[in-house]
Amino acid sequence: MRQLFVIALNTFREAVRNRIFASLIVFSIAMMLLTVAVSSASLNEEIRIIKDIGLFLTSTFSALICVFVGVNLVYKEIERKTVYTILPKPIQRWQFLFGKYAGTAATMSVQVAVMGGVLWGLFLSMGEAFGVVMLQALWLIYVEILVVGAVALFFSSFSTPFLSGMLTLGIFIVGRFSETLSSISLKPQSPADDPEALARLSALIRGVASVLPDLSKFNVTPNVVYGHALQADVVLWATLEGGTYALLLLVLASWLLSRRDFI
Amino acid sequence: MSTAAIMSVEGLVKTFHTGFLGALPGFGGLAARLQLKGVAQRVEAVRGVTFRVERGEVFGLVGPNGAGKTTTIKALMGLIRPTAGTGTLLGHPLGHTRSRERLGYLPEQPYFYEYLNPREFLDFYGGLFPMTARERRARAEQLIDRVGLRHAVDRPIRRFSKGMVQRIGIAQALINDPELIVLDEPMSGLDPIGRKEVRDLVLELKAQGKTVFFSSHILQDVEQLCDRVAIVVKGKVRAEGRLGELLLDADHPVEIVSTHVGSAARETVTALCDRVMDAGETVRFHLRSVSDRDAAVRVLVTSGARLQSVTPQRRSLEDLFVEEAGRA
Repeated sequence: MRQLFVIALNTFREAVRNRIFASLIVFSIAMMLLTVAVSSASLNEEIRIIKDIGLFLTSTFSALICVFVGVNLVYKEIERKTVYTILPKPIQRWQFLFGKYAGTAATMSVQVAVMGGVLWGLFLSMGEAFGVVMLQALWLIYVEILVVGAVALFFSSFSTPFLSGMLTLGIFIVGRFSETLSSISLKPQSPADDPEALARLSALIRGVASVLPDLSKFNVTPNVVYGHALQADVVLWATLEGGTYALLLLVLASWLLSRRDFI
Repeated sequence: MSTAAIMSVEGLVKTFHTGFLGALPGFGGLAARLQLKGVAQRVEAVRGVTFRVERGEVFGLVGPNGAGKTTTIKALMGLIRPTAGTGTLLGHPLGHTRSRERLGYLPEQPYFYEYLNPREFLDFYGGLFPMTARERRARAEQLIDRVGLRHAVDRPIRRFSKGMVQRIGIAQALINDPELIVLDEPMSGLDPIGRKEVRDLVLELKAQGKTVFFSSHILQDVEQLCDRVAIVVKGKVRAEGRLGELLLDADHPVEIVSTHVGSAARETVTALCDRVMDAGETVRFHLRSVSDRDAAVRVLVTSGARLQSVTPQRRSLEDLFVEEAGRA
Protein backbone atom coordinates (compact mmCIF):
# COMPACT_ATOMS: atom_id res chain seq x y z
CA MET A 1 0.00 0.00 0.00
CA ARG A 2 2.90 2.31 0.73
CA GLN A 3 4.07 2.22 -2.90
CA LEU A 4 0.52 2.96 -4.08
CA PHE A 5 0.37 5.97 -1.78
CA VAL A 6 3.77 7.23 -2.95
CA ILE A 7 2.67 7.05 -6.61
CA ALA A 8 -0.66 8.72 -5.76
CA LEU A 9 1.06 11.55 -3.91
CA ASN A 10 3.44 12.15 -6.79
CA THR A 11 0.60 12.11 -9.33
CA PHE A 12 -1.29 14.64 -7.24
CA ARG A 13 1.81 16.78 -6.90
CA GLU A 14 2.42 16.67 -10.65
CA ALA A 15 -1.16 17.77 -11.40
CA VAL A 16 -1.24 20.66 -8.95
CA ARG A 17 2.13 21.92 -10.23
CA ASN A 18 0.92 21.71 -13.81
CA ARG A 19 0.10 25.15 -15.17
CA ILE A 20 -2.44 23.76 -17.63
CA PHE A 21 -4.40 22.21 -14.77
CA ALA A 22 -4.32 25.49 -12.83
CA SER A 23 -5.46 27.38 -15.94
CA LEU A 24 -8.36 24.98 -16.47
CA ILE A 25 -9.51 25.46 -12.87
CA VAL A 26 -9.31 29.25 -13.21
CA PHE A 27 -11.22 29.05 -16.49
CA SER A 28 -13.95 26.87 -14.98
CA ILE A 29 -14.28 29.29 -12.03
CA ALA A 30 -14.58 32.20 -14.47
CA MET A 31 -17.30 30.33 -16.35
CA MET A 32 -19.08 29.68 -13.06
CA LEU A 33 -19.02 33.38 -12.21
CA LEU A 34 -20.51 34.10 -15.63
CA THR A 35 -23.64 32.24 -14.53
CA VAL A 36 -24.32 35.20 -12.22
CA ALA A 37 -24.47 37.47 -15.25
CA VAL A 38 -26.74 35.01 -17.07
CA SER A 39 -28.99 34.51 -14.06
CA SER A 40 -29.41 38.25 -13.48
CA ALA A 41 -31.13 38.45 -16.89
CA SER A 42 -33.95 36.28 -15.58
CA LEU A 43 -36.65 37.50 -13.25
CA ASN A 44 -36.88 35.75 -9.86
CA GLU A 45 -35.13 32.71 -11.34
CA GLU A 46 -31.55 33.67 -10.48
CA ILE A 47 -30.89 30.99 -7.90
CA ARG A 48 -32.56 28.26 -10.04
CA ILE A 49 -30.37 29.19 -13.00
CA ILE A 50 -27.23 29.31 -10.85
CA LYS A 51 -28.02 25.84 -9.50
CA ASP A 52 -28.77 24.47 -12.95
CA ILE A 53 -25.85 25.97 -14.86
CA GLY A 54 -23.49 25.77 -11.88
CA LEU A 55 -23.89 22.01 -11.53
CA PHE A 56 -23.72 21.52 -15.30
CA LEU A 57 -20.45 23.46 -15.44
CA THR A 58 -19.01 21.67 -12.41
CA SER A 59 -19.83 18.30 -13.91
CA THR A 60 -18.76 19.08 -17.48
CA PHE A 61 -15.54 20.93 -16.67
CA SER A 62 -14.52 18.37 -14.07
CA ALA A 63 -15.13 15.57 -16.58
CA LEU A 64 -13.14 17.36 -19.29
CA ILE A 65 -10.24 18.04 -16.93
CA CYS A 66 -10.38 14.44 -15.74
CA VAL A 67 -10.23 13.19 -19.35
CA PHE A 68 -7.29 15.50 -20.03
CA VAL A 69 -5.43 14.28 -16.94
CA GLY A 70 -6.53 10.64 -17.23
CA VAL A 71 -5.59 9.94 -20.85
CA ASN A 72 -2.06 11.18 -20.23
CA LEU A 73 -1.51 9.28 -16.98
CA VAL A 74 0.12 6.08 -18.21
CA TYR A 75 0.97 7.21 -21.73
CA LYS A 76 3.12 10.09 -20.52
CA GLU A 77 4.98 7.83 -18.10
CA ILE A 78 5.86 5.49 -20.97
CA GLU A 79 6.52 8.20 -23.54
CA ARG A 80 8.85 10.09 -21.21
CA LYS A 81 10.34 6.82 -19.92
CA THR A 82 9.78 7.75 -16.28
CA VAL A 83 8.16 4.34 -15.87
CA TYR A 84 11.56 2.72 -16.59
CA THR A 85 12.90 3.87 -13.25
CA ILE A 86 9.74 3.06 -11.27
CA LEU A 87 8.79 -0.46 -12.31
CA PRO A 88 12.24 -1.96 -11.58
CA LYS A 89 11.66 -0.86 -7.97
CA PRO A 90 9.74 -3.17 -5.58
CA ILE A 91 6.33 -2.19 -6.89
CA GLN A 92 3.71 -4.22 -8.75
CA ARG A 93 2.35 -2.83 -11.95
CA TRP A 94 -1.21 -2.80 -10.57
CA GLN A 95 0.01 -0.75 -7.60
CA PHE A 96 1.50 1.74 -10.03
CA LEU A 97 -1.76 1.98 -11.98
CA PHE A 98 -3.99 2.20 -8.91
CA GLY A 99 -1.62 4.80 -7.47
CA LYS A 100 -1.88 6.91 -10.62
CA TYR A 101 -5.66 6.61 -10.39
CA ALA A 102 -5.76 7.49 -6.70
CA GLY A 103 -3.62 10.57 -7.39
CA THR A 104 -6.01 11.64 -10.12
CA ALA A 105 -8.98 11.04 -7.82
CA ALA A 106 -7.35 13.29 -5.22
CA THR A 107 -6.69 15.93 -7.88
CA MET A 108 -10.28 15.81 -9.06
CA SER A 109 -11.55 16.12 -5.51
CA VAL A 110 -9.74 19.48 -5.41
CA GLN A 111 -11.37 20.49 -8.69
CA VAL A 112 -14.89 19.54 -7.53
CA ALA A 113 -14.29 21.12 -4.11
CA VAL A 114 -13.09 24.40 -5.69
CA MET A 115 -16.10 24.60 -8.00
CA GLY A 116 -18.44 23.58 -5.18
CA GLY A 117 -16.82 26.29 -3.05
CA VAL A 118 -17.49 28.91 -5.73
CA LEU A 119 -21.13 27.74 -5.92
CA TRP A 120 -21.38 27.92 -2.13
CA GLY A 121 -20.01 31.48 -2.26
CA LEU A 122 -22.60 32.45 -4.86
CA PHE A 123 -25.38 30.92 -2.74
CA LEU A 124 -24.10 32.79 0.31
CA SER A 125 -24.00 36.10 -1.53
CA MET A 126 -27.64 35.61 -2.54
CA GLY A 127 -28.77 34.58 0.94
CA GLU A 128 -29.65 31.04 -0.22
CA ALA A 129 -28.92 27.95 1.88
CA PHE A 130 -26.56 25.42 0.26
CA GLY A 131 -28.49 22.41 1.54
CA VAL A 132 -27.86 18.67 1.76
CA VAL A 133 -29.07 18.09 -1.78
CA MET A 134 -26.29 20.32 -3.16
CA LEU A 135 -23.71 18.28 -1.27
CA GLN A 136 -25.31 15.09 -2.59
CA ALA A 137 -25.21 16.50 -6.13
CA LEU A 138 -21.53 17.46 -5.81
CA TRP A 139 -20.69 14.03 -4.37
CA LEU A 140 -22.42 12.28 -7.27
CA ILE A 141 -20.61 14.53 -9.75
CA TYR A 142 -17.39 13.40 -8.08
CA VAL A 143 -18.38 9.72 -8.41
CA GLU A 144 -19.19 10.33 -12.07
CA ILE A 145 -15.73 11.88 -12.51
CA LEU A 146 -14.17 8.80 -10.90
CA VAL A 147 -15.92 6.60 -13.47
CA VAL A 148 -14.84 8.86 -16.34
CA GLY A 149 -11.29 8.86 -14.95
CA ALA A 150 -11.24 5.05 -14.86
CA VAL A 151 -12.46 4.93 -18.48
CA ALA A 152 -9.70 7.39 -19.49
CA LEU A 153 -7.06 5.42 -17.60
CA PHE A 154 -8.26 2.15 -19.12
CA PHE A 155 -7.86 3.47 -22.67
CA SER A 156 -4.63 5.21 -21.71
CA SER A 157 -3.09 1.87 -20.69
CA PHE A 158 -2.92 0.72 -24.33
CA SER A 159 -3.73 3.68 -26.57
CA THR A 160 -2.57 7.18 -27.48
CA PRO A 161 -3.89 10.20 -25.54
CA PHE A 162 -5.82 11.49 -28.58
CA LEU A 163 -7.61 8.21 -29.23
CA SER A 164 -8.15 7.62 -25.51
CA GLY A 165 -9.58 11.14 -25.18
CA MET A 166 -11.97 10.70 -28.08
CA LEU A 167 -13.18 7.31 -26.83
CA THR A 168 -13.59 8.56 -23.27
CA LEU A 169 -15.50 11.65 -24.37
CA GLY A 170 -17.72 9.45 -26.53
CA ILE A 171 -18.47 7.21 -23.57
CA PHE A 172 -19.06 10.25 -21.36
CA ILE A 173 -21.65 11.66 -23.79
CA VAL A 174 -23.35 8.31 -24.45
CA GLY A 175 -23.27 7.53 -20.72
CA ARG A 176 -25.17 10.73 -20.01
CA PHE A 177 -28.02 9.42 -22.21
CA SER A 178 -27.70 5.85 -21.02
CA GLU A 179 -31.14 5.80 -19.35
CA THR A 180 -32.83 6.81 -22.62
CA LEU A 181 -30.69 4.53 -24.77
CA SER A 182 -31.19 1.44 -22.61
CA SER A 183 -34.94 1.57 -23.17
CA ILE A 184 -34.91 2.68 -26.80
CA SER A 185 -37.30 1.10 -29.24
CA LEU A 186 -37.15 2.56 -32.74
CA LYS A 187 -40.47 2.63 -34.62
CA PRO A 188 -40.92 2.79 -38.40
CA GLN A 189 -41.52 6.37 -39.50
CA SER A 190 -42.47 5.49 -43.10
CA PRO A 191 -43.57 2.39 -45.04
CA ALA A 192 -40.01 2.15 -46.42
CA ASP A 193 -38.56 1.49 -42.96
CA ASP A 194 -37.85 -2.15 -42.17
CA PRO A 195 -39.37 -2.93 -38.73
CA GLU A 196 -37.06 -5.93 -38.21
CA ALA A 197 -33.94 -3.89 -39.00
CA LEU A 198 -35.09 -1.18 -36.61
CA ALA A 199 -35.73 -3.79 -33.92
CA ARG A 200 -32.22 -5.20 -34.42
CA LEU A 201 -30.74 -1.68 -34.28
CA SER A 202 -32.72 -0.95 -31.10
CA ALA A 203 -31.43 -4.16 -29.52
CA LEU A 204 -27.88 -3.25 -30.51
CA ILE A 205 -28.18 0.24 -29.00
CA ARG A 206 -29.68 -1.23 -25.80
CA GLY A 207 -26.84 -3.80 -25.68
CA VAL A 208 -24.15 -1.14 -26.05
CA ALA A 209 -25.86 1.09 -23.46
CA SER A 210 -25.98 -1.79 -20.99
CA VAL A 211 -22.18 -2.26 -21.21
CA LEU A 212 -21.33 1.43 -20.97
CA PRO A 213 -21.57 3.25 -17.63
CA ASP A 214 -24.95 4.80 -16.85
CA LEU A 215 -23.85 8.34 -16.00
CA SER A 216 -27.41 9.65 -15.91
CA LYS A 217 -27.60 8.22 -12.37
CA PHE A 218 -25.15 10.87 -11.20
CA ASN A 219 -27.11 13.81 -12.58
CA VAL A 220 -29.54 14.99 -9.87
CA THR A 221 -29.91 18.60 -11.02
CA PRO A 222 -33.75 18.46 -11.02
CA ASN A 223 -33.69 17.46 -7.33
CA VAL A 224 -31.37 20.37 -6.58
CA VAL A 225 -33.42 22.89 -8.54
CA TYR A 226 -36.61 21.87 -6.74
CA GLY A 227 -34.87 21.35 -3.39
CA HIS A 228 -35.76 17.64 -3.07
CA ALA A 229 -33.05 15.86 -1.09
CA LEU A 230 -32.23 12.33 -2.28
CA GLN A 231 -32.75 9.25 -0.14
CA ALA A 232 -29.44 8.11 1.34
CA ASP A 233 -29.75 4.68 -0.27
CA VAL A 234 -30.06 6.25 -3.75
CA VAL A 235 -26.76 8.05 -3.24
CA LEU A 236 -25.19 4.94 -1.75
CA TRP A 237 -26.28 2.65 -4.60
CA ALA A 238 -25.15 5.14 -7.24
CA THR A 239 -21.79 5.37 -5.45
CA LEU A 240 -21.46 1.59 -5.26
CA GLU A 241 -22.41 1.18 -8.89
CA GLY A 242 -19.95 3.84 -10.04
CA GLY A 243 -17.22 2.47 -7.76
CA THR A 244 -17.69 -1.08 -9.03
CA TYR A 245 -17.59 0.03 -12.65
CA ALA A 246 -14.41 2.03 -12.04
CA LEU A 247 -12.83 -0.89 -10.14
CA LEU A 248 -13.58 -3.34 -12.96
CA LEU A 249 -11.99 -1.01 -15.49
CA LEU A 250 -8.92 -0.58 -13.30
CA VAL A 251 -8.55 -4.35 -12.89
CA LEU A 252 -8.79 -4.75 -16.67
CA ALA A 253 -6.30 -1.92 -17.23
CA SER A 254 -3.93 -3.53 -14.68
CA TRP A 255 -4.13 -6.83 -16.53
CA LEU A 256 -3.31 -5.12 -19.82
CA LEU A 257 -0.45 -3.23 -18.19
CA SER A 258 0.92 -6.42 -16.59
CA ARG A 259 1.27 -7.98 -20.04
CA ARG A 260 2.77 -4.95 -21.67
CA ASP A 261 6.40 -4.65 -22.75
CA PHE A 262 8.06 -1.31 -22.09
CA ILE A 263 10.24 -1.17 -25.17
CA MET B 1 23.19 -22.70 -13.04
CA SER B 2 24.98 -22.02 -9.74
CA THR B 3 23.22 -20.03 -7.03
CA ALA B 4 26.45 -18.10 -6.33
CA ALA B 5 25.81 -15.78 -9.28
CA ILE B 6 24.17 -12.52 -8.28
CA MET B 7 22.58 -12.32 -11.71
CA SER B 8 22.34 -14.85 -14.51
CA VAL B 9 20.43 -15.45 -17.70
CA GLU B 10 20.27 -18.55 -19.81
CA GLY B 11 18.95 -18.71 -23.35
CA LEU B 12 17.18 -15.37 -23.12
CA VAL B 13 15.09 -14.70 -26.21
CA LYS B 14 12.96 -11.68 -26.93
CA THR B 15 10.86 -11.34 -30.03
CA PHE B 16 8.89 -8.15 -30.49
CA HIS B 17 5.72 -7.86 -32.47
CA THR B 18 5.37 -4.47 -34.05
CA GLY B 19 2.78 -2.95 -36.33
CA PHE B 20 -0.90 -2.09 -36.02
CA LEU B 21 -1.87 -4.84 -33.57
CA GLY B 22 1.62 -5.80 -32.52
CA ALA B 23 1.70 -3.72 -29.35
CA LEU B 24 -1.64 -5.01 -28.08
CA PRO B 25 -1.06 -7.83 -25.58
CA GLY B 26 -1.86 -11.20 -27.10
CA PHE B 27 -2.58 -9.98 -30.61
CA GLY B 28 0.95 -9.49 -31.90
CA GLY B 29 1.97 -13.13 -31.62
CA LEU B 30 -1.31 -14.34 -33.08
CA ALA B 31 -1.17 -11.94 -36.04
CA ALA B 32 2.47 -12.82 -36.69
CA ARG B 33 1.69 -16.56 -36.59
CA LEU B 34 -1.10 -16.00 -39.09
CA GLN B 35 1.42 -14.03 -41.20
CA LEU B 36 -0.85 -11.00 -41.38
CA LYS B 37 1.67 -8.66 -42.97
CA GLY B 38 1.20 -4.97 -42.17
CA VAL B 39 -0.73 -5.93 -39.04
CA ALA B 40 2.18 -7.33 -37.06
CA GLN B 41 5.85 -7.98 -37.78
CA ARG B 42 8.33 -10.05 -35.80
CA VAL B 43 11.61 -8.53 -34.68
CA GLU B 44 14.10 -10.80 -32.91
CA ALA B 45 15.95 -8.41 -30.61
CA VAL B 46 17.63 -11.02 -28.40
CA ARG B 47 18.33 -14.52 -29.69
CA GLY B 48 19.56 -16.68 -26.83
CA VAL B 49 21.69 -14.59 -24.49
CA THR B 50 23.47 -16.47 -21.69
CA PHE B 51 25.83 -15.04 -19.08
CA ARG B 52 26.36 -14.88 -15.36
CA VAL B 53 27.53 -12.10 -13.09
CA GLU B 54 29.43 -12.98 -9.93
CA ARG B 55 29.04 -11.12 -6.67
CA GLY B 56 31.42 -8.16 -6.22
CA GLU B 57 32.57 -7.83 -9.81
CA VAL B 58 32.16 -5.12 -12.41
CA PHE B 59 30.59 -6.78 -15.42
CA GLY B 60 30.26 -5.11 -18.80
CA LEU B 61 27.71 -5.93 -21.46
CA VAL B 62 29.38 -4.71 -24.59
CA GLY B 63 28.06 -4.47 -28.09
CA PRO B 64 27.33 -2.16 -30.99
CA ASN B 65 24.12 -0.15 -31.15
CA GLY B 66 21.15 -2.42 -31.77
CA ALA B 67 22.97 -5.52 -30.48
CA GLY B 68 20.29 -6.25 -27.88
CA LYS B 69 22.00 -4.85 -24.76
CA THR B 70 19.14 -2.63 -23.63
CA THR B 71 16.54 -5.30 -24.41
CA THR B 72 18.51 -7.78 -22.30
CA ILE B 73 18.70 -5.30 -19.44
CA LYS B 74 14.99 -4.49 -19.68
CA ALA B 75 14.18 -8.20 -19.49
CA LEU B 76 16.37 -8.44 -16.37
CA MET B 77 14.63 -5.41 -14.86
CA GLY B 78 11.16 -6.84 -15.53
CA LEU B 79 10.25 -4.13 -18.03
CA ILE B 80 9.74 -6.62 -20.83
CA ARG B 81 8.69 -10.25 -20.68
CA PRO B 82 11.18 -12.66 -22.24
CA THR B 83 9.82 -14.79 -25.08
CA ALA B 84 11.99 -17.66 -23.82
CA GLY B 85 14.80 -18.33 -21.40
CA THR B 86 15.32 -18.20 -17.67
CA GLY B 87 17.30 -16.14 -15.25
CA THR B 88 17.87 -15.16 -11.67
CA LEU B 89 18.37 -11.83 -10.00
CA LEU B 90 19.69 -11.70 -6.43
CA GLY B 91 18.57 -15.26 -5.82
CA HIS B 92 15.06 -14.85 -7.22
CA PRO B 93 13.61 -15.66 -10.64
CA LEU B 94 13.42 -12.74 -13.08
CA GLY B 95 10.47 -10.43 -12.44
CA HIS B 96 10.30 -11.22 -8.71
CA THR B 97 9.46 -8.09 -6.71
CA ARG B 98 11.55 -9.02 -3.65
CA SER B 99 14.80 -9.07 -5.60
CA ARG B 100 14.22 -5.43 -6.57
CA GLU B 101 14.59 -4.32 -2.96
CA ARG B 102 18.35 -4.85 -3.33
CA LEU B 103 18.64 -3.62 -6.89
CA GLY B 104 19.52 -0.21 -8.33
CA TYR B 105 18.91 0.66 -11.96
CA LEU B 106 19.69 3.61 -14.20
CA PRO B 107 18.15 3.37 -17.68
CA GLU B 108 19.74 4.71 -20.84
CA GLN B 109 19.12 8.45 -21.40
CA PRO B 110 16.85 8.74 -18.38
CA TYR B 111 14.04 11.23 -18.03
CA PHE B 112 12.66 12.10 -14.65
CA TYR B 113 9.79 14.03 -13.10
CA GLU B 114 11.05 17.48 -13.96
CA TYR B 115 8.89 19.35 -11.43
CA LEU B 116 10.69 17.72 -8.48
CA ASN B 117 13.84 19.03 -6.86
CA PRO B 118 16.59 16.54 -5.84
CA ARG B 119 15.26 16.12 -2.28
CA GLU B 120 11.67 15.47 -3.41
CA PHE B 121 12.94 13.28 -6.22
CA LEU B 122 15.03 11.03 -3.98
CA ASP B 123 12.32 10.94 -1.32
CA PHE B 124 9.86 9.76 -3.98
CA TYR B 125 12.11 6.89 -5.12
CA GLY B 126 13.04 6.05 -1.53
CA GLY B 127 9.34 5.77 -0.74
CA LEU B 128 9.09 2.82 -3.10
CA PHE B 129 11.43 0.85 -0.82
CA PRO B 130 10.83 -0.32 2.74
CA MET B 131 12.63 2.70 4.21
CA THR B 132 11.47 5.02 6.97
CA ALA B 133 11.11 8.75 6.29
CA ARG B 134 14.19 9.41 8.42
CA GLU B 135 16.25 6.83 6.51
CA ARG B 136 15.10 8.31 3.22
CA ARG B 137 16.04 11.83 4.23
CA ALA B 138 19.47 10.82 5.53
CA ARG B 139 20.23 8.74 2.46
CA ALA B 140 19.03 11.50 0.11
CA GLU B 141 21.29 14.09 1.75
CA GLN B 142 24.25 11.69 1.59
CA LEU B 143 23.64 10.99 -2.11
CA ILE B 144 23.13 14.65 -3.00
CA ASP B 145 26.62 15.26 -1.68
CA ARG B 146 28.01 12.12 -3.30
CA VAL B 147 26.84 13.07 -6.79
CA GLY B 148 27.77 16.73 -6.31
CA LEU B 149 24.33 18.32 -6.52
CA ARG B 150 24.34 20.21 -3.22
CA HIS B 151 24.38 23.53 -5.12
CA ALA B 152 21.19 22.56 -6.99
CA VAL B 153 19.26 21.05 -4.11
CA ASP B 154 16.32 23.46 -4.43
CA ARG B 155 16.28 23.54 -8.21
CA PRO B 156 13.65 21.59 -10.17
CA ILE B 157 15.09 18.91 -12.44
CA ARG B 158 13.75 20.72 -15.52
CA ARG B 159 16.57 23.21 -15.00
CA PHE B 160 19.29 20.54 -14.83
CA SER B 161 21.95 20.00 -17.48
CA LYS B 162 22.29 16.56 -19.07
CA GLY B 163 25.19 15.67 -16.80
CA MET B 164 23.23 16.72 -13.71
CA VAL B 165 20.27 14.59 -14.81
CA GLN B 166 22.62 11.64 -15.16
CA ARG B 167 24.01 12.28 -11.67
CA ILE B 168 20.60 12.51 -10.02
CA GLY B 169 19.71 9.37 -11.97
CA ILE B 170 22.65 7.57 -10.42
CA ALA B 171 21.56 8.85 -7.01
CA GLN B 172 18.08 7.33 -7.43
CA ALA B 173 19.71 4.03 -8.42
CA LEU B 174 21.61 4.07 -5.11
CA ILE B 175 18.82 5.30 -2.83
CA ASN B 176 18.21 1.84 -1.35
CA ASP B 177 21.94 1.08 -0.90
CA PRO B 178 21.63 -1.78 -3.42
CA GLU B 179 23.82 -4.87 -3.66
CA LEU B 180 23.57 -4.91 -7.44
CA ILE B 181 23.65 -1.75 -9.57
CA VAL B 182 22.63 -1.98 -13.21
CA LEU B 183 23.62 0.97 -15.39
CA ASP B 184 22.52 1.11 -19.02
CA GLU B 185 24.99 3.20 -21.05
CA PRO B 186 25.85 5.39 -18.02
CA MET B 187 28.54 7.36 -19.87
CA SER B 188 26.42 8.05 -22.92
CA GLY B 189 26.31 11.76 -23.75
CA LEU B 190 28.60 12.79 -20.91
CA ASP B 191 31.65 15.00 -21.32
CA PRO B 192 35.10 13.65 -20.29
CA ILE B 193 34.73 14.99 -16.74
CA GLY B 194 31.28 13.44 -16.39
CA ARG B 195 32.60 10.12 -17.67
CA LYS B 196 35.47 10.20 -15.20
CA GLU B 197 33.02 10.89 -12.36
CA VAL B 198 30.95 7.89 -13.34
CA ARG B 199 34.07 5.73 -13.65
CA ASP B 200 35.22 6.83 -10.19
CA LEU B 201 31.79 6.06 -8.78
CA VAL B 202 31.78 2.56 -10.29
CA LEU B 203 35.20 1.87 -8.80
CA GLU B 204 34.07 3.23 -5.44
CA LEU B 205 31.01 0.97 -5.49
CA LYS B 206 33.21 -1.98 -6.31
CA ALA B 207 35.49 -1.10 -3.41
CA GLN B 208 32.40 -1.16 -1.17
CA GLY B 209 31.74 -4.74 -2.28
CA LYS B 210 28.87 -3.90 -4.62
CA THR B 211 28.30 -5.62 -7.92
CA VAL B 212 28.07 -3.33 -10.90
CA PHE B 213 26.61 -4.41 -14.22
CA PHE B 214 26.73 -1.93 -17.02
CA SER B 215 26.26 -1.81 -20.73
CA SER B 216 28.35 0.34 -22.99
CA HIS B 217 29.68 0.71 -26.46
CA ILE B 218 32.46 3.00 -25.23
CA LEU B 219 35.24 0.41 -25.14
CA GLN B 220 37.75 2.57 -23.32
CA ASP B 221 35.42 2.75 -20.30
CA VAL B 222 34.83 -0.97 -20.39
CA GLU B 223 38.54 -1.76 -20.53
CA GLN B 224 39.21 0.52 -17.58
CA LEU B 225 36.43 -0.74 -15.36
CA CYS B 226 35.34 -4.29 -16.07
CA ASP B 227 36.52 -7.48 -14.45
CA ARG B 228 34.54 -9.49 -16.97
CA VAL B 229 32.59 -8.74 -20.09
CA ALA B 230 30.09 -10.32 -22.43
CA ILE B 231 30.20 -9.18 -26.03
CA VAL B 232 26.76 -9.12 -27.59
CA VAL B 233 26.35 -8.90 -31.34
CA LYS B 234 23.06 -9.27 -33.18
CA GLY B 235 21.23 -10.55 -30.12
CA LYS B 236 23.74 -13.24 -29.13
CA VAL B 237 26.69 -13.40 -26.73
CA ARG B 238 29.76 -13.92 -28.92
CA ALA B 239 32.33 -13.96 -26.13
CA GLU B 240 32.24 -13.89 -22.35
CA GLY B 241 35.00 -13.94 -19.76
CA ARG B 242 37.73 -12.04 -17.99
CA LEU B 243 38.85 -9.16 -20.12
CA GLY B 244 42.53 -10.16 -19.85
CA GLU B 245 41.77 -13.69 -21.03
CA LEU B 246 39.55 -12.57 -23.86
CA LEU B 247 42.13 -10.13 -25.14
CA LEU B 248 44.96 -12.63 -24.84
CA ASP B 249 44.10 -15.38 -27.33
CA ALA B 250 45.95 -18.71 -27.52
CA ASP B 251 48.05 -17.68 -30.48
CA HIS B 252 48.82 -14.11 -29.53
CA PRO B 253 51.92 -12.26 -30.76
CA VAL B 254 54.91 -11.55 -28.51
CA GLU B 255 57.39 -8.69 -28.51
CA ILE B 256 61.02 -9.45 -27.64
CA VAL B 257 63.36 -6.53 -26.98
CA SER B 258 67.06 -7.28 -27.05
CA THR B 259 70.49 -5.63 -27.49
CA HIS B 260 73.80 -7.00 -28.82
CA VAL B 261 72.03 -9.16 -31.39
CA GLY B 262 74.38 -10.95 -33.76
CA SER B 263 73.58 -11.16 -37.47
CA ALA B 264 72.98 -14.95 -37.49
CA ALA B 265 70.61 -14.79 -34.52
CA ARG B 266 68.87 -11.80 -36.01
CA GLU B 267 68.31 -13.65 -39.28
CA THR B 268 66.90 -16.73 -37.51
CA VAL B 269 64.55 -14.78 -35.25
CA THR B 270 63.46 -12.41 -38.03
CA ALA B 271 62.09 -15.44 -39.90
CA LEU B 272 59.62 -15.91 -37.01
CA CYS B 273 58.51 -12.27 -36.98
CA ASP B 274 56.08 -10.15 -38.88
CA ARG B 275 57.98 -7.00 -37.99
CA VAL B 276 61.47 -6.06 -36.72
CA MET B 277 62.40 -2.55 -35.60
CA ASP B 278 65.84 -1.13 -34.82
CA ALA B 279 66.52 1.72 -32.44
CA GLY B 280 70.27 2.12 -32.00
CA GLU B 281 71.57 -1.08 -30.44
CA THR B 282 68.06 -2.17 -29.45
CA VAL B 283 66.10 -4.50 -31.67
CA ARG B 284 62.35 -5.11 -31.27
CA PHE B 285 61.21 -8.45 -32.63
CA HIS B 286 57.44 -8.83 -33.10
CA LEU B 287 56.91 -12.59 -33.10
CA ARG B 288 53.85 -13.75 -34.99
CA SER B 289 52.94 -16.39 -32.44
CA VAL B 290 53.60 -17.18 -28.80
CA SER B 291 54.49 -20.73 -29.87
CA ASP B 292 57.77 -19.41 -31.32
CA ARG B 293 58.69 -17.51 -28.17
CA ASP B 294 60.86 -20.16 -26.50
CA ALA B 295 62.76 -20.95 -29.69
CA ALA B 296 63.44 -17.25 -30.36
CA VAL B 297 64.60 -16.63 -26.80
CA ARG B 298 66.88 -19.67 -26.95
CA VAL B 299 68.50 -18.48 -30.21
CA LEU B 300 69.08 -14.98 -28.82
CA VAL B 301 70.48 -16.13 -25.45
CA THR B 302 72.81 -18.74 -26.92
CA SER B 303 74.10 -16.19 -29.44
CA GLY B 304 75.12 -13.85 -26.59
CA ALA B 305 72.38 -11.24 -27.10
CA ARG B 306 71.10 -9.45 -23.98
CA LEU B 307 67.35 -9.75 -23.54
CA GLN B 308 65.61 -6.64 -22.27
CA SER B 309 61.98 -7.85 -22.22
CA VAL B 310 59.57 -10.49 -23.48
CA THR B 311 56.02 -9.08 -23.64
CA PRO B 312 52.86 -10.81 -24.78
CA GLN B 313 50.94 -8.50 -27.14
CA ARG B 314 47.26 -8.21 -26.14
CA ARG B 315 44.61 -7.35 -28.62
CA SER B 316 42.64 -4.25 -27.80
CA LEU B 317 38.99 -4.65 -26.89
CA GLU B 318 38.27 -2.81 -30.09
CA ASP B 319 40.09 -5.49 -32.10
CA LEU B 320 38.11 -8.20 -30.33
CA PHE B 321 34.89 -6.28 -30.73
CA VAL B 322 35.38 -5.75 -34.47
CA GLU B 323 36.48 -9.38 -34.87
CA GLU B 324 33.34 -10.71 -33.14
CA ALA B 325 31.07 -8.31 -35.01
CA GLY B 326 32.64 -9.42 -38.28
CA ARG B 327 32.26 -13.08 -37.35
CA ALA B 328 28.54 -12.53 -36.59
